[in-house]
Amino acid sequence: MLTFDTIAQVLWTSLATSSYLVLFAVAFALVLKVNQIFNFAQAAVMTIAFYSAHAVVSMAGQPGVLGFLAALGSAMLAAAILEIFGFRSLRRRRASQMFVFIFTLIVSELVAYLAMLIFGTWPTTIFPSLFWPVSLVGNVAVSAWDVPALGAMLGSLALLFVFLRYSQPGRFMIAVADNPDLAELYGIEKNRIYLYAMLIAGLLIGVGMFLYGSRAQVQATTSIELMLFAIAATIIGGIGNVWGAALTAIVLGVVQNGSVLFIPSEWQGFLLYVFLFLAIVFFPNGVKLPERKRGLARKVASVDLGEGAAAAKPATAGEG
Amino acid sequence: MEYIYTLVILIALGVVLASSFNLIIGYAGLVSIAHPVFYAIGAYVSALLARDHGVPVPVAMILGALAAMAASIAVALPSLRVSGDYLLIASIGFQLGLLEAIKNVSFTGGAGGLTNIPPFLIQTAGREAYVALVVGVAVLTVLLTRSIAHGPYGRALSAMRDDELAFAALGRNAVAMKVAVFALGSGLAGLAGALYAHYFRFVTPEQFELLQSAAILTMVVVGGIRTTWGPVVGAILLQALPQAITFLDLPVALLGPLQGLLFTGLVLVFMFWRPQGLVAAGEFWRPSREAPDVGRP
Amino acid sequence: MSAVLEIRGLDKRFGGIVVADAIDLTLSAGRVVGLIGPNGAGKTSLFNLVSGIFPADAGTITLDGERIDRLKTHRRAARGLSRTWQNLRLFPSLSVLDNLMVGPRHYPGEKLWRLAFDRGGVRRREAETRRRALDVLERTGLAAVAKTRAADLTFGQQKLVGVARALMNESRCLLLDEPMAGVEGHAYETMQRVVRDVAASGVAVCVVEHNVAFIRDLCDEGVFMFAGKVLARGPVADLIADPRLTELYFGT
Repeated sequence: MLTFDTIAQVLWTSLATSSYLVLFAVAFALVLKVNQIFNFAQAAVMTIAFYSAHAVVSMAGQPGVLGFLAALGSAMLAAAILEIFGFRSLRRRRASQMFVFIFTLIVSELVAYLAMLIFGTWPTTIFPSLFWPVSLVGNVAVSAWDVPALGAMLGSLALLFVFLRYSQPGRFMIAVADNPDLAELYGIEKNRIYLYAMLIAGLLIGVGMFLYGSRAQVQATTSIELMLFAIAATIIGGIGNVWGAALTAIVLGVVQNGSVLFIPSEWQGFLLYVFLFLAIVFFPNGVKLPERKRGLARKVASVDLGEGAAAAKPATAGEG
Repeated sequence: MEYIYTLVILIALGVVLASSFNLIIGYAGLVSIAHPVFYAIGAYVSALLARDHGVPVPVAMILGALAAMAASIAVALPSLRVSGDYLLIASIGFQLGLLEAIKNVSFTGGAGGLTNIPPFLIQTAGREAYVALVVGVAVLTVLLTRSIAHGPYGRALSAMRDDELAFAALGRNAVAMKVAVFALGSGLAGLAGALYAHYFRFVTPEQFELLQSAAILTMVVVGGIRTTWGPVVGAILLQALPQAITFLDLPVALLGPLQGLLFTGLVLVFMFWRPQGLVAAGEFWRPSREAPDVGRP
Repeated sequence: MSAVLEIRGLDKRFGGIVVADAIDLTLSAGRVVGLIGPNGAGKTSLFNLVSGIFPADAGTITLDGERIDRLKTHRRAARGLSRTWQNLRLFPSLSVLDNLMVGPRHYPGEKLWRLAFDRGGVRRREAETRRRALDVLERTGLAAVAKTRAADLTFGQQKLVGVARALMNESRCLLLDEPMAGVEGHAYETMQRVVRDVAASGVAVCVVEHNVAFIRDLCDEGVFMFAGKVLARGPVADLIADPRLTELYFGT
């Protein structure tokens, strides 16, 4: 029976649930925009963040705050290691895109198998209990998890926005995303910017994974599915558009969780693959927004300029 | 003896999978790791047709391969028209999504797996005949990939990998060639799946997950990408190695992750320290036969 | 004199940058047209628009009376349009001969089913293509390096390979993007002869070139482009003599 209250309840819970999905999508979209890498190794960072918090809180019995810090720290550390020992070395060798793809994917799988060996294959959590006290607002049940989760998501996004818009490294990041070679001409050190982007992504992942792990059970392969969701949101939101990815993640999150009203719950997970498929078939360039068009034009124009620049050197030889 | 037969069959199927995957990822330069899903389609379609619809096994096997081929075209066409990057995402999504679906519907046996798959050849002509069939398919696959890679088609693929824009401006249809290679490779994987199903007579969705993706990728990368014999060497090595681990008598829960660790770790080691693999490919494309009039000054 | 390629009202802009502004241009059989103008005038972009590397915003392009502006790059080439590139774009993993053998308008081994069911046909056409490639190499003075890797040649020879590869198409219309840049000595004369021979065989040729001497010696007509527009066309000597164009060319 669909009543107003049921719908309001489902919408609220879905919205709260989308908090971590947004963080994962923004992290993925940011690395794609700045570092220009489809970072499938994000799943590895997610797995590491979760099991660090799990080890600190659930296994060592430390308070949740320490678990939270462990998630953030380990995720940032993992992201930094990936960048410094992985991506940087691959960039230096001018590794092909395929090579980088395979590298990120293999890292994700390697970490998943490591986690299975160390922590076993059974799903686990950060806190011993997944139950959060509930209070009624109107007729809608709001759990003690919902509000802090939404707050953490919104706070992280606000910080990211301020960082990208007003801080110097943030602006450099956008400059590198737009044109890495030009940025280098202006004295921006690319490697440092790439590292910043990875660290910020690590931070967002740490927050997101702590939220997820305090509300749902996680096993070593969970993060690969969570990452696929982030990828779908990134594609539909328009590649290169971080905020588009965030918005799409909310919409997809609400649709997926709200689908309990219409389809059997065991098929809910399947919806993710439907999103992914629809994204690639119908929105490969994202939902058309004016900003997206500008981005594309810039990209093509730079290809054109690149060719002109390449030819400028030998052209002088025959000048009559 | 039966153990040896099983090992030979697993190695031969590994050769089919690795060689056909080498065609896709190596020669055509297409990034996808979803090869196991086409292996799964071949296995399930053939097994279900033969078990529930009375289709003769050889026909069912061919239909399984064709189904894998059709599915691969459906995945590749929309994604390749946009850009190569999307194939990887579309194919992983397809792999995990289809396996999720197989787990959730009843006619495939769900997560528990498909049982009672009708056998083929073994009762009438003996196990040796089936071993010969699978090894024959493996040999044909290797010969086929070699003739494609070093013939006119391989020359075109080589040019396409070098510079797709210049390739298209010469009148070559890069998207059509990529889809064709992807379909052929996936069809071969489907055939391997069918051959697996009617020998072992039991398949579960679990065996086509990412662990299998990592295994096939490892065979190609460790053996030597873009070579005829690399995937063969890789397949033998990587089918035999996990067998050796099983002798260590470890608990089952550790076995899977340990194999996964081995596969992915090997890929990483080889990527950074010997990217060309055990059998190194030349940078230069070679035709299979030199025509006599070429060297003429 | 019959029109082979006709461009009418071609527009293209990238964001705020105009690379083609209402361009009209006709290329005729057997004639060589030289495109001149300063860097960034839109010469290479015009080639990219004609060969379909990116789509035009407006305008029509016809080849032998048929519209080609909606076709993909490879279909335009299959209709008989070929081009070379400023920065070569040879295939580094192929020999010079194999570079050429990828170039014919209809490639014998492009379809997998043909390899399976028409092996004889493919082999016959491969042999034919090989003969033609060796013939083109002979004409371009590259026969001695047929089996060398393209990357191991001198820059001038590489430029010749680029042109030779484009000739394999037996196209109706040939677009040459800076064929002389960086080419000196023997290769210079060969290039001139090759372009002249191609035009004499009835192909419509368009050349983007900064080498004014080359343009003057070779082209039947010059077209001056600036900021995506065709500003003037006429005999090359007249364009070079025009002080206003010279000022635009060398800037102020």
